[in-house]
Amino acid sequence: MSTGRKVLALHLAVLAALALLQFALPPYHHTNVARIMVLAGYAIGYNVLLGYTGLMSLGHAMFFAAGMYGAGLPVYYFGVGAPAAFGLGVASGTALALLFGLMALRTSGPSFLIVSMMFGQALFLVTLYFNDVTLGDQGFILSGKLAPLELAGARLAFEAPAVKYNLALAIFAGCLLAALALRVSALGRVLIGIRENEERTRLLGYDSFRYKLLALAVSGTLAAAAGAGYALLFSYVGSTFASILFSIYPLLWTLLGGIGTVLGPLLGTALMFYLVDTVSGITSSYLLFVGAALIALVLWFPLGVLGTLRGRWLPWLP
Amino acid sequence: MSAFVLALTALGLSLVFGVMRIVNVAHGEFYMLGAVLAWACAHAVGTPVAGFVAAMLLAPLAVGGLALAADRWVLRRLDYHPESTIVATIGMLYVLQQAVLMLYGPDARPVPPPVYFKVEFPWFGYSGYKLVVAAVSAALLAATWVLIARTRLGLYMRAAQQDLEIAQAYGVPARRVYGFVFAAGAMLAAAAGVLIVPIEQAHYLMGLDPLLLSFIVVIIGGLGSLRGTLVAAFAVGLSDGIVSVFFSPTLAKIVATLLVAAVLVVRPGGLFGEERA
Amino acid sequence: MAAVAPLLATQALSKYFGGLAAVRDVSLEVGQGEIRAIIGPNGAGKTTLVGMICGRHAPSAGTIRYEGRDVTRLRPWERLRLGIAYTFQVTSIFKGLTCYENVALPAQRALMRGLARRLAPGEAEVAARVRAALESVGLAELAGRRADELAYGHQRLLEIAMALATGPRLLILDEPTQGLAEGEIATLCELVRRIARQATVLLIEHNMQVVLALAGRVTVMEAGEILTEGTPAEIERHPEVQRAYLGR
Repeated sequence: MSTGRKVLALHLAVLAALALLQFALPPYHHTNVARIMVLAGYAIGYNVLLGYTGLMSLGHAMFFAAGMYGAGLPVYYFGVGAPAAFGLGVASGTALALLFGLMALRTSGPSFLIVSMMFGQALFLVTLYFNDVTLGDQGFILSGKLAPLELAGARLAFEAPAVKYNLALAIFAGCLLAALALRVSALGRVLIGIRENEERTRLLGYDSFRYKLLALAVSGTLAAAAGAGYALLFSYVGSTFASILFSIYPLLWTLLGGIGTVLGPLLGTALMFYLVDTVSGITSSYLLFVGAALIALVLWFPLGVLGTLRGRWLPWLP
Repeated sequence: MSAFVLALTALGLSLVFGVMRIVNVAHGEFYMLGAVLAWACAHAVGTPVAGFVAAMLLAPLAVGGLALAADRWVLRRLDYHPESTIVATIGMLYVLQQAVLMLYGPDARPVPPPVYFKVEFPWFGYSGYKLVVAAVSAALLAATWVLIARTRLGLYMRAAQQDLEIAQAYGVPARRVYGFVFAAGAMLAAAAGVLIVPIEQAHYLMGLDPLLLSFIVVIIGGLGSLRGTLVAAFAVGLSDGIVSVFFSPTLAKIVATLLVAAVLVVRPGGLFGEERA
Repeated sequence: MAAVAPLLATQALSKYFGGLAAVRDVSLEVGQGEIRAIIGPNGAGKTTLVGMICGRHAPSAGTIRYEGRDVTRLRPWERLRLGIAYTFQVTSIFKGLTCYENVALPAQRALMRGLARRLAPGEAEVAARVRAALESVGLAELAGRRADELAYGHQRLLEIAMALATGPRLLILDEPTQGLAEGEIATLCELVRRIARQATVLLIEHNMQVVLALAGRVTVMEAGEILTEGTPAEIERHPEVQRAYLGR
């Protein structure tokens, strides 16, 4: 089997496995895995920017939140249907990413990092400042306001676990396949060139600014899709999803799973989700564990699970 | 937040970036540790004045020691690689924050100022302690300047900033300089925390705002430019104070971020920075 | 003599870094099909000069005309698309990527026209171009190896392959023989001669034997200015050049 076919087969197999998993899971884990899949979409978006292009952002929650509020607010206030709300959420993320990119990509790496953190925090503050509309920290719930989805004649209520799971899977699949397609494409090659040696890439004929902007737009769009999906599927919209901590999570997840690998974010999100779940059962200071994990990872395991696997045994893994 | 205290904090951040080329995301936590240790000193010692003096001496040393350890055990092992160190400092942020939460608790606790007098101007009364803050800050800023411009250690720091390899070839002990610089940055932040805590209270989450404000300052002033940092610190500190009086602090921060965006659009390297568009 | 426009012409080109004049008032013409060597002591401004030609530095003053058009304001990637390619003095490749991937990035550039082609320019075509470029420098068997596993000499050849993959009409080589062993230098000279059949070559060199073997004309620089120009034989005998550069 050629490399290309092997790669595609692997990723489709992962999706198939996730699809089948829903029939084997008890209810508690059922919702968890649905959540993990949506959050993994967020991490995949983050990885496009960090893993492929080499740009670290500490404000990615702003794109997730743009998707979340972009979808949630129209539903809450105007009773907009789910597909349109999802579209609005995604569009908000793309628009924000382009706007942010046009301003921030003119700066170098460390400045970009700081500016992303500040903009992330500014959006977080905006959600708090316009408390009357966004209900700030407390957030708001969509259940009761969200009409069931009409799909091929069937009415799918969002409260049903099967609906949640499969729509989450659909969103994840979209993000995963988009990321894979980008990775193996000519565009992906340029992004990796920018990551490895930006000046060389410019002198080989590529306007690096444009490509970085593209990467940021894709990254923000995927993150917003996850955010919009999260709002619609799990029915809650709140400021915590715009906070700095929520910007740091995808970094942690991607690092654990393997920066620059396509499947890494899924693995990292899943592992961390359950690790944090376990730790917070033991102590309320689970953030200490998060901090220690980041330090440990970057010191001793910087390639992450799939990165290490790829280095040692599976060089064809994208 | 006092412009002087912001200047101290931002200077610490800028120093670390200027010499070591790393962004210390945990910088705000060193500030917070200074404040918390000041509270501890105030509780352990009898009078507020003695507590203040003890804090001013001990807190920076303790926090500096902690920073030195962090540099030795973590940052040095990462070879000061930019992205790795950022991730490591993010980790440190949460470790320090949560450690303080576990030991000190979630409450905000006040610390009495060492001196309590009001200076009466015709149009308003000014807390005398703020003058103490200004004086001590100015002294520390001056001391830092002297260190950088006039001592051998400062020479090493400036050489390492210019070109590390050449500096090492000339015998500059790069690793020790790096350790010292990281500690110095932390000490400045801790001192700032000690100074501010009688005005604001000591709370385990208090490091975030100074961090973001410091970021705003170094972006506007230009990453790597100490002069730019100082100018921007006073500009941002004063305007933040003014806006906060008339509008909410939340809005002040949003406005500050938009200001940064405006600066970046025009000059991506900040006002004094070294970058090309 | 027929008035054929030169391929490359700079007019009073200067570059100041702060108060320092790295390049001062350089007017240079390179004809199509030439192999032109630029020589001069360290600090003469050679790398800065070619840096302005390929777009790494913006000139402080002066103009650059290439194939008859003014390219002074064009960005590096725009110049690459016009056919100006540059290899670095200190090898600048993608160390973590395979040789294939190193060459694929420049090779795919010309194929990425139009939206559909940008996403999928046709991997088979890219592969063909990569193979051709690697074969021309003799690295075809090492295509699957990581670039940082290569010997230094091979890394330099890889960088040339990357430049060739863009289909350049003006190839600028910045000290290509630096750090190479005798045999490798000979291979490189052969390679440059082959390249020169299809492209104009601008060569910065310290190795006088290479200059004598390859160059049709030589431009000598000192302290940011052109000292003199001529054939290699003329230059070798030139008293000023001997003083400034060869130290006699």
